Amino acid sequence: MAITRRQFLRRTGLATAGALFGPGLFRSPWLQQAMASTIGDRYFIVLFLDGGNDGLNTVIPVSGGSTIGSGAKGLRALYEDARDNPSTAGGIRILNPLVPTPGANAPAMLDPNTGCQLGFHPGLASLRDMYEDGMVAVLQGCGYPEYNLSHEVSRRIWQRGTPLSALGSGWMGRHLATAGYLGSDIPAVNIGSSVAGEYQQTATSVLVFDRLQDFGFPYDDAYTGDNGAKNAAFTALCTAALANDNPGMQYIGGTGNSTLTATNAYPALHAQYLADRRPWSRRYSGDNPPGLNTSTARGFREIAKVIYGVARGMLPSSLSARFFELANGGYDTHSSQGASETNGGHYRLHAEVADAVKLFYQDLADMASGASMGSGLADLPNKVTVLVWSEFSRRIRQNDSGTDHGSQGPMFVIGGADAINGGVYGNHPNIDPNDASNGIDDDGNSRYSQSNANPQRSTDFRDVYGTIMKHWLGVANPQPLLPLDSDLGYSGPHYWTAANFNLGFLP
Amino acid sequence: MAESSPLTLAHARHLLRRTGFGATAAEARSLSGRFATRGAAADSLLGFKPSRFRPGGRYIDDVHNKWIAYMAKTRLQLQEKLVLFWHDHFACSYDKVGDLDLMRNQNRLFRLNCKGDFAALVKAVNKDAAMMEFLDTVRNRRNEPNENYGRELQELFTLGVTDLLGNPNYEQEDVFQIARAFTGWTYDDKGVAEFRNGRHDYQSAYPERGPKRIFRTTGGFGANGADYTTAGEGPQEIDTVIDVILQHRYGPGLRNTVADHIAYKLITFFAHPSPSLSYVTDVVDASGFAGNWSIAGLLKQIFVHDDFYLSAGPASAGTPKSVKWPVDYAVSALRLLRMKLHGRYQETQGGSYASIRDHLTNMGQVLLEPPSVFGWDWELAWMSSSALLARYGYARDLIASRDGGAGSFQPAKVLDARVFDLTDAGAIVDAVADVLGVDLAAAERAALINYLTNNAPAAAVDLRDPDTADRKLRGLFGLLLQSPAFQLQ
Repeated sequence: MAITRRQFLRRTGLATAGALFGPGLFRSPWLQQAMASTIGDRYFIVLFLDGGNDGLNTVIPVSGGSTIGSGAKGLRALYEDARDNPSTAGGIRILNPLVPTPGANAPAMLDPNTGCQLGFHPGLASLRDMYEDGMVAVLQGCGYPEYNLSHEVSRRIWQRGTPLSALGSGWMGRHLATAGYLGSDIPAVNIGSSVAGEYQQTATSVLVFDRLQDFGFPYDDAYTGDNGAKNAAFTALCTAALANDNPGMQYIGGTGNSTLTATNAYPALHAQYLADRRPWSRRYSGDNPPGLNTSTARGFREIAKVIYGVARGMLPSSLSARFFELANGGYDTHSSQGASETNGGHYRLHAEVADAVKLFYQDLADMASGASMGSGLADLPNKVTVLVWSEFSRRIRQNDSGTDHGSQGPMFVIGGADAINGGVYGNHPNIDPNDASNGIDDDGNSRYSQSNANPQRSTDFRDVYGTIMKHWLGVANPQPLLPLDSDLGYSGPHYWTAANFNLGFLP
Repeated sequence: MAESSPLTLAHARHLLRRTGFGATAAEARSLSGRFATRGAAADSLLGFKPSRFRPGGRYIDDVHNKWIAYMAKTRLQLQEKLVLFWHDHFACSYDKVGDLDLMRNQNRLFRLNCKGDFAALVKAVNKDAAMMEFLDTVRNRRNEPNENYGRELQELFTLGVTDLLGNPNYEQEDVFQIARAFTGWTYDDKGVAEFRNGRHDYQSAYPERGPKRIFRTTGGFGANGADYTTAGEGPQEIDTVIDVILQHRYGPGLRNTVADHIAYKLITFFAHPSPSLSYVTDVVDASGFAGNWSIAGLLKQIFVHDDFYLSAGPASAGTPKSVKWPVDYAVSALRLLRMKLHGRYQETQGGSYASIRDHLTNMGQVLLEPPSVFGWDWELAWMSSSALLARYGYARDLIASRDGGAGSFQPAKVLDARVFDLTDAGAIVDAVADVLGVDLAAAERAALINYLTNNAPAAAVDLRDPDTADRKLRGLFGLLLQSPAFQLQ
């Protein structure tokens, strides 16, 4: 059967567990060697904006610049056409985007294609601040060929790193599996309730938790003297499951074992973090001083704890996680998206994420201050990058009080000023609904009527992934992990047939 | 023929476990004693009259807890398994709906329609006020159509993104055209749907009434697609949309798309996650579901098919197992241990004293608040380290409940009195495993014997000693509830 693009992506079943890593493609010895991890003393965080973030009201045209495509209007005028809806209360036009002041580390925020001045949504004040400090790379127009408007399908495409269904594993999962981590290692931690799609694989362990402090094994307090016997029996049950031929039993046995290992190490780390850094901990969620107290901030605090422990060498090397994931939900703003008011739905989402990221980097800088050279804490902000993505952006035209599903959108790479090259990369999408010559629908896809048109991508998201792998994770050639569409047996005219893993946002 | 195949004791236990929340050995013996064949047993399980239960309470926690308590208590186990399935299938969250009564109404709607006519169920969901809020039907206006419901109706509720052969079932134009048909709807202060013609009557390039044509490129309707306004416009349009969708066909044999999709999903819920294509087509063809739309008829064929019993034995390479949902894990543990949760917050009494809602939150499943319109992620997505840890903690809380009363765990209530006279560790392990319905492999059994005897497998165990019985019997139950094998069914 020919590979079809929009394969039915069934819910992950037990049978899939054994096949998550696909057909032997990544198992050859030369590849293992080529992929040897050189992340060294760095860290990498994926932040997922779940639901489809409205990119047009994230990175916003402000003024100036040339007309776009063959149309007659500039980006700002087109933006106002799409989003200015005076007849409807709760329209979502943004009146006052935040324009960063250029500085030593930060170039002016201009669209590379048209020269239009760009700004951030008013909720993104903290991101604007970080941009001015040279800590934010804005990657506009990120998408993939023949975009899909289903949350589930598009999310999987991004997580697996391919619009073709040939690969069952996640793009970061493939990296972990080929970087030589073993089943007994825990190289990655996901904040949440289940392993994120980009980390799926079966070679090594990805730990998932909401709060480090809850991560102790529950014993019957009436007989603490029996704990050792229970621990041994539980370990033996998990080991027996690992030897079972059933892939589900293997998976649960392996997860059970690594969970038990972590329950011995993580609560101690939490206690140490609190003892050393309680004032900073409170800034994430405390009452005095008032902390941000959002789920995103609390998630970043858990990551900060683990990084603190790893950097100080408090965890065994097998538990020294360097890869993380967290998500913020609620971006499916079909309604109640809100304008620039601070109580608008989109404003709150933006502020939650931007404020949490800014606080996190302040925390990292504080951990690094005074640390001696050679310490794992030294220069910490420049050792951590955050990749921000969403499964799609939203429709150019708003509906009554929100926006429906769309195509490409902006990504962000955030990191220390010396770690990344801040600025704007990739072109703002052409949002002119009358510019037929530019093929408003991605690849001129006739499935989508003009009335529902979505703009073309300017950047394939896999080039972003590849740039991170090559320039941050030290993978000399990421292409086997991010195979071209043509490598996977599909070579239509619009497909991704040439990789560019040097997009420039990482040195 | 599978329907007349004899019902073995092992198959009876499997059937009860999958159609309810846990099955005791006694329940399995009773079912296999009363019914000689799979068909007769399935008829018996499906013969119930749906109850009118509607979870009450002042706050969402109460509504949640009352539903859980009902699941644990009711004899209509299959009914509640089905309500759970439809709640996931037509996922809808209080988080967005924001009205307890609407959530309660929807819960009863799923109960009353849980095994009846699928077409009627979808049409009722169209007009369910909670769903109209959740997927924005009430915000779907004629000059600014909101596509939320039009998309999920096709993608999740009926057709699926693609058919079982991997080809697309619909396109964006179909989403848009169906969204147009759903304009004009709202609901009254009792939560009853009402249609107001011209409710959104302002100028528009897209009149909400007027000709609509869908499935021009899919569905076996031919090049002209299906024109569903010929049957009349106005309030009946949203029923007509369902009638058209239920005619959608795919593949070389022009099989009914919705019938196969719903059968596939029910099989993955009740049997195992990767069924063969023939299991799906067999049950659809044998039941006539693609026409009579009888959910009960379809379920019967699912329950009597040979493939249903593939997962009946101990886990092995050839035994496709399903991961128990958190709700299934929690409720079946209660039923198997014959204990109740405590008080208004339905707390466990032995350790964390957490409410069942907090336990389930940590396990990754809060009823009435699914994470998104996709419902929950099933199978191994339930098995993260933190979710497993939540199960381990819940198990510990249950077995360490010693406060007396219905909220405490008393091994003597579930174990035959003769077990307390046993001194052979292996026999004790087998008796406890039988209560919980766990098929132990040799290595697992050895690990538990070592636990009972403190690594002296030949040693006798004296359960007449109250300290040993309390320490080790409870410990044994806890380890089995925490074991990888008990997470699967």
